Parts: sequence; structure tokens; C-alpha cells
Amino acid sequence: MEITEKDVDGVAILSFSGSLDALTSPEATDYLEACISNGKNQIVADLAAVDFISSAGLRVVLTAMKQTRLAGGDFRLAALPDGVHKVIAMAGFTSILKIYDDAESASSSFRK
Amino acid sequence: MKFLNLRVSQGPVKAPPSPAEISAGMLTHDAVGPISLRSINNLHENIKRRVYRGLLPASLLADFNIDPITYIGQNNSPSVEVTALPDSGLAKIMVLAPDGAQDPIATLELSDNTFNSIDLNLMVLNQPDGSRFATDVDLDGQPTIYGTVRRNLVEEQKAMEHGLAPGQIRSGLSASKLVLNQLETFLAMMGHRAYYLEPLTYASAWVFERRGFAYVRGHKLMDTIHVEFQPGGQLHASLDVSTPFRQSDQWKTVRGRAWAIHDGILDVLDERWDNLRMVKQLGKSADVVTFPESVY
Amino acid sequence: MVNSYKMTRAAELEALPIFRDFLDSVCKEHGIGSEFRYDLKLAMDEACTNIITHGYAGMNPGSIMMEVQFQPSHIRLSITDFGLAFEPVETAAPDVNALLEDRVASGFGLYFIYQTMDEVEYRTTVDCNMLTLVKRRHAPDAA
Repeated sequence: MEITEKDVDGVAILSFSGSLDALTSPEATDYLEACISNGKNQIVADLAAVDFISSAGLRVVLTAMKQTRLAGGDFRLAALPDGVHKVIAMAGFTSILKIYDDAESASSSFRK
Repeated sequence: MKFLNLRVSQGPVKAPPSPAEISAGMLTHDAVGPISLRSINNLHENIKRRVYRGLLPASLLADFNIDPITYIGQNNSPSVEVTALPDSGLAKIMVLAPDGAQDPIATLELSDNTFNSIDLNLMVLNQPDGSRFATDVDLDGQPTIYGTVRRNLVEEQKAMEHGLAPGQIRSGLSASKLVLNQLETFLAMMGHRAYYLEPLTYASAWVFERRGFAYVRGHKLMDTIHVEFQPGGQLHASLDVSTPFRQSDQWKTVRGRAWAIHDGILDVLDERWDNLRMVKQLGKSADVVTFPESVY
Repeated sequence: MVNSYKMTRAAELEALPIFRDFLDSVCKEHGIGSEFRYDLKLAMDEACTNIITHGYAGMNPGSIMMEVQFQPSHIRLSITDFGLAFEPVETAAPDVNALLEDRVASGFGLYFIYQTMDEVEYRTTVDCNMLTLVKRRHAPDAA
């Protein structure tokens, strides 16, 4: 798994690639926690290049959501591949998460 | 909605054998339940001999002119010793070398384990002729128990140079496949679906991988050993010629690695060669390869 | 003979992508579509993660054996290990409608397995622990 980060008007856009499973999720959690503790609480996770997510990856998402919201921000998802979307939907996360078609609309959603 | 989740069992699911559950009486009233060695050992002597006869490949005996039924070998001498005492969960079979030579050709020791299954404690297959190395006793004549409690460094070095693996006193018989296949047939008759062992050395673990075993414990250790013996790894770096058993090219072969491990090289990883446990499921091969493209 | 493929690896998290790639490639060879493949990988991954993180806890881990069999009507995935046995406990399924603050991110592993597979059977014996997962290739005909 790799994470690349860019900043668009104060919104951190994190592009994940590879798999978010029990092997990689600790690294993803560490990365997100570092972001949030550095004051970035408006985060978009661009998952277009994520080929696999398991329940371990969902824990990363849930933790990031709770932490950003506690800090007054939000954690939003963009560009979910079919498999990833199915897992998010099975867990019922679609009702508590904001999901966008692409990273651009996700980041601009913070300005509305 | 209720559904079943799974958690690690809290209680001892794998219970010790209860004689009523696992008796030789199953021979007559149950065709599939497992039978313990203890219950075989409590049978009449002649039945016991018939049962344990199934443990040795007839062709192995024939190779040494030993009658597969009477166990009489050359010079009319009894050539197979079966130790299977009443009330004991242990069975040991030794095929003696012709002419009363010191070391048995084959030694097999099986025991009941604590969870209704069978352990192969020992399998030693020796070439009866050829060089012998006294790695089994130290310089004071004390037994080394396969080099696990004491070592005879002089003899070990000679054995290594002669191409033996740690724990061996003679070249092997190259019959492990034959013997293990026979053991599976025997265990199937006894109603066991799997059996277990603790590999004495890295070389024996390698042999058992090729014979279809998987690991109950220590698979990761075997992977780690392979990685750390590669150039750049910690074990590779410890092949520093500080002892005769740590020559720089030993990482390339199974035996080389086995001798270095026997010599305690795993200390640098803060690991020890113990607590590995392997399992063979009857008829199935796990296809484990922890040393790809290995050279013995 | 059935069309069967198997792979054994040490029970460590590094094995997860290796098992998934293996399963993906043999499924592709058998013309299995991507959603179906994702379901199989998900169920297998969750099962193996459980074994790796709990089944072999406290020891140098042993093996996980995965076998996948292709039948005309279904695919059967068997996952065998030799670690600690699991036992079923009846629990509430994760609440997929809970509010965020009430969410706990545990309990989804087995839930996903049940959601994606048609049959789930767990058996523990003195010889091994074996989880068998079956996914049908077509919806069964209406009675």
C-alpha cells in the first residue's frame, strides 16, 4: 500500500493505492493519525487505486472518521472501485460517510 | 439478527485420551474411531506383533534378507525388535543390522500424544556399512542425544565433511519416503487422520516438508531462517568462520544451514531451534517449501 | 479429479496478499468474474486474518493451507490451520444502521464471510481446524 498526499485549499487529499488489509492498515492508521494530530482534519481519501479492502481497512476508515469529526472536520471518501464500495455498503458505512465520485468533488464539498 | 461469531476456544477442546473412547475394542465394533498405541500395547502379545508388523515396509526388510513375518534375518538371528509394553503409550521398532553391527538400520518410535493423536518421536535410517562418526557420544563417552545436550565437536566436524547432517552417525538410508508411506497405511488402519513430529534439525524439517508435512509451529521461523541466510541477512553475516560449522558458503545448502543452526547460529536472531512442530495429514501433501530451489 | 489448487504459507500477515493474488489468478483462469472473485478474496482474507491474529497467538506461527476447488455449480474454499481452535459464540450481528458514535469496527470479519458465501462450515478436530466456504456459481433454481 502507498499513500500520496496533496493539499488543496486546506483539504488533505490522500491517494491510497494497493490493499487496505490487516497487513497494511496499521501503517494507514499511523499516517492518518499523524495527519490529524498535525491539525489536518479535513481529509479526502481517494481510493481509486485501492484494489482490496477488508474489515481491517474499515477500521481505519471508522477511526479516521471519528477522529476528524471530533476535531471539527471530516473524513470523506472518493472514487470507490466496485469491490471497495461493496464492502463499505455491506458494513452500512454509506449512511454515516460522505462518498464522492472523485477526489475533486470530495475536496470541494468541504467548501460548501 | 443473531449469528455465530468465532472466538478462540476457552476450554480444552482437544482432550486427553480416555481409554473407553479410544480402545482396541474399536477393532471389532467401530471401523473408524482412532485407536491408541496404549490400547494396542495392552493386547495379547501375538495380536500386538501382527498389528505392529504393518509398520515396516516388507521391501525394506527384504533388502536386508529379513523375513517380513518371522523377522528372522541372516544367520538365523532375530532382526527386528519391537518394544511395546503393556500400559505404555509408546512403540519402538528397530531393524537390526546384519552381523550384529552396532547401529540399527531403522529405528522408529511412536507415542500417543496428549490430544488423541500420534507423535513420531524418532525415525533414524542408517546405511549399515560405510563410515561411522561417533557424534552420539562426547569425548568422555557421555551420550549426546543427537547432539542436543552435549556435542562431540571432533566427530561432528568429520561427519559434516563427510556430507552428513547434524544428528546423524552414518549416511542415511534414503528410505524415508518408503517408511513414511508405510506409516500412513499403518495409521489409517489405526483410524488416525494425521500424525505429528518435532524435527530434530533444519535438515530433517526440510526432508519432512518434501514428504508433505505442514507446520503446527515454526513455519514462520523457517521462512525467517531462509531470508536471514540470504546475502545481507543476519545469519549470512554470522557465517564468519568463528567455528568450523560457520563457513561462509554454508548458507547455500540445507546441510550447511543445518550445521550452522546446530552450532547455535540462531542466537543472533534471538531464536532457538526448538518448539517446531510438524503435522502430516494422511494422503495429503501440504507442499511447503521454505527453501526454494534448495540444494541438499 | 476435481479442479483443485492449493497453497500453504506461514500464518503471518505477509501471506494475505499472496493468498489473495493466488486465488485471484486461479479464479481468472476459470473465467470467474471480478465481483465473484472479490467476494472470495474477502471471505478468505477475513478467515485467514482471524487465524493469523488469534489462532496462532503466542507461538511462532505454523501453516495455513488454502485449497480452492472448482465445481460446475460452485466454488469450494477450504482453509486449514493447526493453531488454537475457535468456538462459536452467538452474538448480535454488527449493527449496520448504528449512528457513527455507536459504531464499533469489530465483528465485521465473520459477518462479511456470511454475507458473501452461500455455505460456511467450521470444523475442529484433533487433526486440524478447517473452515469450508462454498459460493454457488449461479442462483439456485426456484423450487
